[in-house]
Amino acid sequence: MSGIIHVQNLSFGYTTKSLVLKDISFSVPSGGFLAIAGPNGAGKSTLLNLICGALTPRSGTIIIDAAPIESYSTRTLAAKVAVVRQESVPIFGFSVVETVLMARTPYFGTAGFESQADREIVQDALELTDTAGFASRPLTSLSSGERQRVFIARALAQNSPILLLDEPTSFLDLKHQVGIYDLLKAAQFGKGKTIVAVTHDINLACQYCDQALLLGTDGLSRHGPVSEVLSTEQIENVFGVEIFAGRIGQEGFFMPLGKLAKDRARIEAKTGNS
Amino acid sequence: MDQLLRPRRMIATTGLALGALVVVMLTCSLIGSENVSLKAVFSGSGDQSKANPDYEIFVRVRLPRIVLAGLVGAALACSGVVFQALLRNPLADPYILGISSGAGLGAIIAVVGGLNWTLWGRSPIAVFAFAGALGTVWLVWSIGRLTGKFHVTGLLLAGVVVNAFFSAVIMFLTSIAKSEQVYSTIFWLMGNMAEEDLLVLWVGAGCVAGGIVALFFISPQLNALSFGAEDARSMGVNIARIRTIAFAIAAGITAIAVSLSGLIGFVGLIVPHAVRLVFGPDHRQMVPLSGVVGAIFLVVADTLARTIIAPAQLPVGVVTAILGGPVFLVLLVKHSRKVGWVK
Repeated sequence: MSGIIHVQNLSFGYTTKSLVLKDISFSVPSGGFLAIAGPNGAGKSTLLNLICGALTPRSGTIIIDAAPIESYSTRTLAAKVAVVRQESVPIFGFSVVETVLMARTPYFGTAGFESQADREIVQDALELTDTAGFASRPLTSLSSGERQRVFIARALAQNSPILLLDEPTSFLDLKHQVGIYDLLKAAQFGKGKTIVAVTHDINLACQYCDQALLLGTDGLSRHGPVSEVLSTEQIENVFGVEIFAGRIGQEGFFMPLGKLAKDRARIEAKTGNS
Repeated sequence: MDQLLRPRRMIATTGLALGALVVVMLTCSLIGSENVSLKAVFSGSGDQSKANPDYEIFVRVRLPRIVLAGLVGAALACSGVVFQALLRNPLADPYILGISSGAGLGAIIAVVGGLNWTLWGRSPIAVFAFAGALGTVWLVWSIGRLTGKFHVTGLLLAGVVVNAFFSAVIMFLTSIAKSEQVYSTIFWLMGNMAEEDLLVLWVGAGCVAGGIVALFFISPQLNALSFGAEDARSMGVNIARIRTIAFAIAAGITAIAVSLSGLIGFVGLIVPHAVRLVFGPDHRQMVPLSGVVGAIFLVVADTLARTIIAPAQLPVGVVTAILGGPVFLVLLVKHSRKVGWVK
């Protein structure tokens, strides 16, 4: 048994009849960066919710830092695993710094206030995510990219060795997408965080992640180094699209081309296929 | 970092508000159809042959009523804070999960049933309203649990439906009741203050104050919960425990308020919003401050209710809406940039 996250024969289904995840096994070494990819409905977010304890497996085991996940309380698990979910906006106008400070809630004194140490942790997280400049602004006044950084800051302020992210770049433009991944990579190298990100962006996963877990709607999974798992053949199989692959330096990139894509029509005209 | 709420500032603001509450209570206790002088009050109750009327009015009439208004205002406002945070809904108020209709149903059953016993000095209306309120919350809470642990929508819908159902039963009972029974029920439903037995008041005030203190100790968790149950859980907040505690306290202090004074609307909705607009959304500040501001608001409203058309009295619920609506709208326009939901 190796790895800070160790998943063995995990199965889960929301109803008793069908399974979303079937017999999944993988492990993430401490300080690793795992991308979880796959088509919609393959159970990526479900798997994330299982690893953070929000759902209970039907069968199989999840081991976090050498202890089974059931042995953690909500509080002790939050000290190991922090989660960044998709776009959550609070209904009240909390400011950036108030939001990030909430990560320290379990450590507040009895009177409900933070210590100096908590404040320093929050300051660190704000600086690392480049959000200190607008710390006093309300979350609602920020752009999606800025808000996503704030939630990453909040997760970092939990000071947990493991960071889980659910599609961290889904609503972001190109600059903010690489911005978020640079930030995660910096947290991986600088702070030794183990990062697991659910993503639709296979190309960014190739550029930034060490390992990939490709989930299919058939309930099967493929796990291994990014370069092995994210191959043209596997991606075509799992996603059911035709892929045109290329290479930038060491890493590959993948471009899906649909029936009516312009280049697709040209390629077909040239080769005479119909 | 400077923008963060510091304990010293929280205590200073709450202390100032408490000071304002004492001043308001004292001032309002001197206002009324009879002039009461504070100097005469302090000279004591007088001897047996010649009672001191100022003292009698102050201690037996004005003071109990003002304490009652304060405790009801504080209870409703704090309960509103809790329900808005737990349900993540700015429209939530203490009555949203059916407490009002449950209490109303209890009250009208007591009236229509013609009950005339007392329990610890309490009328059947108060006892039945209290039981009805708590019973309804328990019912809604149980139904909500069946719809899923983390989802508040089921709870809200259960509250709305139970509210509608009980309101229909109330209307049915009203339509078969005798006219003088109907009058006293409607008066109760509008929210009404009356001079209460001092012992009941102190017990009620103690419970409400204790509840608010307990809510303060879970206020950081309420902050986290306003991001949603799943976010709060991943930050290490035991949501099942915090939710149960918060609901139980909020429902309990609302039931106490309702059984003492009927259904006073508006306080539990606008006081939390007003406090949030001016002081920001941090619940560590919201809980104590909403309690104090709610108390001040209802003491003032009740003083107006008993003096505007003196010697007759208005139901205080009428005053809270007429007084609170415009004040709230002014705050809304002035401070709306501070809060998310009016973006």
